[in-house]
This record gives sequence, C-alpha cells and structure tokens, in this order.
Amino acid sequence: MGIGFIDILQSLIDGILFGSIYALIGLGFTLIFGAMEKLNMAYAASSIGGAYVGLGIATLFSLPLVLIFFIGPIAAGLLSILVYLVSFRLIPASNHLGSLMASIGALFFIDEVIIHETQGSPLTFPELGIFSEAYFMLGDLGFRGDLIFIMIFGLVSMGVIIYLLYYTRLGLATRAVSQQNIAARLCGIPIHATNISTFVLAGILGGFAGCLAAASVGVISPLLTIPITIKGLVAAVIGGLGSIRGAIIAGLLIGGVENFFLLVRGVNERDIYVFLLLFVFLVLRPNGLFGNEISRD
Amino acid sequence: MEFYLGILQTIGFHTLLGLSAYLLLLTGQLSMAQVGFFAIGAYASGILTVIYGLHIFLALGVGAVTASFFAFLVGFPALRIKGLMLVIATIAFSEIVRLYFFNLRWRIEKGGVEVGPDGAQGFREIRYFAANGWEPYQIVSFIWIVVILVIAALWWLDRVKVGSVLRAVGEDELAAQSSGVNLTIVKVSAMTGGGFIAGIAGGLYAHSTTYVDHNSFTILLATFAVAYPILGGLKNVFGTLFAVVFIQGILIEGLRFLGDYRNLLFGLLIIIVMNFYPKGLINIPIFNFSRRTKKGDT
Repeated sequence: MGIGFIDILQSLIDGILFGSIYALIGLGFTLIFGAMEKLNMAYAASSIGGAYVGLGIATLFSLPLVLIFFIGPIAAGLLSILVYLVSFRLIPASNHLGSLMASIGALFFIDEVIIHETQGSPLTFPELGIFSEAYFMLGDLGFRGDLIFIMIFGLVSMGVIIYLLYYTRLGLATRAVSQQNIAARLCGIPIHATNISTFVLAGILGGFAGCLAAASVGVISPLLTIPITIKGLVAAVIGGLGSIRGAIIAGLLIGGVENFFLLVRGVNERDIYVFLLLFVFLVLRPNGLFGNEISRD
Repeated sequence: MEFYLGILQTIGFHTLLGLSAYLLLLTGQLSMAQVGFFAIGAYASGILTVIYGLHIFLALGVGAVTASFFAFLVGFPALRIKGLMLVIATIAFSEIVRLYFFNLRWRIEKGGVEVGPDGAQGFREIRYFAANGWEPYQIVSFIWIVVILVIAALWWLDRVKVGSVLRAVGEDELAAQSSGVNLTIVKVSAMTGGGFIAGIAGGLYAHSTTYVDHNSFTILLATFAVAYPILGGLKNVFGTLFAVVFIQGILIEGLRFLGDYRNLLFGLLIIIVMNFYPKGLINIPIFNFSRRTKKGDT
C-alpha cells in the first residue's frame, strides 16, 4: 500500500471537516432527546426536506440563490412543528416506541413526498459561493473553505444552543420539562409550547445543516436522508444521548474515522467500520462519551 | 394466476418477518435487526444450495441456525441497552450485514458457468426450485406450510407458561425480574428465536425470487418488519398476519391505480395508527370478534 503519513493526515482532516454535518444532525437528535427523552427519527428527513423547499421556492420565484440558506431552515423548522404534531403531540409521553414508530412513519412519508415531487432524480444545489472556491494550504495539507465554514457554523451553533439552554428562561423551561414533566406543568410551564420551541430550534439547525450538506456535495437527493439519519444517530449515541458537546465531538470523530477507512479500505466498506465503532461504544461505554449515568432507556 | 401466487409468496415472507419481530416485541424489544437476520438466512441458504448443492430443507435449516446464531451474538450486547438505544444498535447491525453482503464476492465454476454472490451485482443463480422441477403452486404451498407452522408455534407459545414469561418481561422488566424471571435467558432466547424465524424467511425469499442483492435488505424492510406487529397489535399472532395482508395485499397491490402515491400511504398509515390506535388495529372494536374481553378492558 502506498499510503503515506501525509495522505492519512489529509484524509483525517477532510473527514473531520465533513463530520461537522454529522455533528449538526447528531446535535439535533440529542437536543430533542434531551428535551423529551424521545428520538425524532424524522429529523434528518425534515432537514433535507427544508433544503428542498428552499431550493424549490428559490427556483420557482427566481430569487437570489443565497436566500435558500434562509428559506430552507425556516421551512425545516415548520416541517419539524408538523412532525411534532403528528408524531409526538397526541401520543402519551410514556409511549416511547409509539412516538418512535410514528416518527419513522414521518421519515418515510417526507422521503416519499420528495421522491414523488422530484421523480427520484437528484437536483443540483448551488455551492457556497466564495467559500467553495477558497482552499487553504498549510504546508502539504489542504483545507476546503466550505467545510471550514460548516465546521465554524457547527461550533457557533453549539455555543448558541448551550447559551439558550443554560442562560435563558426558555432553556430553563426546556430543562424543567425534561427533568420533571409533572412538576414543570404544576409550575405553569406550557409543556407543548416548550417542546415545540425545542423542535423549531432543532429544525432550523437541521435545515441549515441540510442546506450546507447539499451545498458541499453539490447535489441534493432523497437518498441522502437515510445515511445522514443513521450517521447522525450514531454521532448522538457515541457522544452520549442528551450531551451537546458529545454530539459535536462524536460527529467530527465519525467523519474522521469514515474518511480514514475510505482511504484504507475503499468506499464500499467504510460504513461497516463506522457502525462497528458504534458497537464498540455500546459494549464498552453504553452511555457514550459524555452521557449521564441515569437514563439508558 | 401467477400474479396472485406472487402476492401470496410476498405475504408469506413478510408474515414470517413480522412474526420474528413480534416474538421480540413480546419481550419489549424493538429490533430493527430482523432484516439483518433475514439477509443472513437468505445468503447462507442460497450459498448452500448453489455452491455446495445441498437439499433445500437442509439449506433452509442451516441458514436459519446461522441467522439465529448471529441473533444470539447480538442478544448479549443488546442486554445492556434497551429501548431507543437498542433500536439504534440494531439499525447499525442490519446495515453492517447489508454492507458485508454488498462486498461479498465468492464466485466458483459450476457446470461451465460462474455462480455465487457477486458483490454489488447481487447473488443471481439461486435456482433450486426451477432446477428440481417445483411448480409455482408447490413453492407457495411450501412457504405457507412454514408460515402456518410458525404461527401455530407462536400461538402455542402464548398458551403456555413461556408466553406469560415473555409478556411479563415486556410489560415490566423490573417486576418480572423481582418475581424470579431470568432476564438474560428470556431476552437472548427471544432474540435467538426471532433470528431463527427471520432466517427461514430469508432462505425462502432467496429461493423463490432466485435473486438477492443488498438492496433487498434495507432499513425500509426493517421498518416493515417491526411495523406489522405494531400496527396489527400484540394481542395475538393474527394481528401481525392481518397487518401484512392489509399492507401488502390491499395497500400495495390492491391500490395499484394510485400509482406512485401508494408509497406515501405506508408512512401515513403508521402515523395514523400510532396516534389513534396505539395498541394496534386488532383492538379496533370492529375487529374485536371475541366477546371475552370486558368493556373498558383494552
């Protein structure tokens, strides 16, 4: 094998930069899990759906393409409200599997709507303008400008979410609802409004992640949904469900591992190793990197 | 006629797949790994009849045992995690299996032609039934004999103590453990049993379609597998059968005039049933034929 040290380092850098997308999606999963102790499986689907709506509206009214990055997140936030209403609102809090199944149903529903509307063919997505042309060299190592932008965006949004959760009244309400549902209700916190605001927050984040992912790849396709869902879930679990920094670090880790095995073992086998990494964590550290000891359910 | 036999075959595999998930759901484990076991059964028994030239019964048996062995292995780490984490872990397992078969290349010369799994091209020449002169109606009858045997076995299981133990673990793990139920044995054996049923289903599927590839074993199929018992209800095995007939027979085949829109209905159906009938369709009053259940006792 003619793989030098510099190749490995370069592939790790590319992977970690691309891992920011997994980190953002994992962040969304973990945010909703932290608020409700439930998984919203339709999260990545609504993110990609938001990016589609943004692209669709922008091309329909021939708006400047940069607006996609504003319309997409808003649409994803609205889609998230819809997902909350159909998969979480009416199903009792104790019925975890019910919400899970309903959100899987929503995942396939959104996916099929996209496939139906686009006849299943991928669409080209505008690139990130100035960022996609930027390419930094540091010695022999190169850094893609758009991926650096995504990574910085991911870290900033992590900061914003930590700020919202720990330093605002909304965050206080969210944490109260997640820790003691009944006590929170007795204190006069509107449960559903709080949950919806978490969903909207996660949805906007996901919509942005969806747009960024599509922009960095250059195309958008409904085939992206399931892999991004699974990788995002893996990131959320490895980081510890409910842990915000865990999801970010695990997302970057997955990106790095994925690209390393892409270099060493080829494109067909790389995902096997990512999932094996998940099993290693589940056996040795079921709570993830930063997960709490209390809830494993 | 061929068309209806084809539908009957599809309903047969999907019933077996749904029942394998049903057995696990009784113990409260939602496993997306059934499609992984299904794939292992399909490839293992296909390789046995094509490459080693074994008899179909033997090949199906060995395929099912192989699948249940892997289920046994998955069962142990799955003990430490439950609920939502188990779902994620089993999704990952199914994907590992799918990607393994995506990369599996094992071609040998046999009678002048190359046979065996061919990576992304799939595993094409599983022609045991055609080579041995089985008629389509014989294949369908064979599949349905297996289905009926499995249904009977699960029905019987629910009538004896084992069924109560499984349901006790599903209802309340802690209470079951306090009354002396060994959780490890119950969960791992449910997983192994589910793997066995899914393995048989996979073997039958591979032989009656003559062709399998990694696209046959996606997360969508895993979702179907758990959706049948959940939509049908866990009251008894017929809920699963009912859901399979409803989805495969009516939703997918019966509504052909809807064209593409049928694909939307599956997701929509899950959402509707989960919101309004969380205990499954079989608990809707019009399907409640037995008078034994008291009013208010859902």
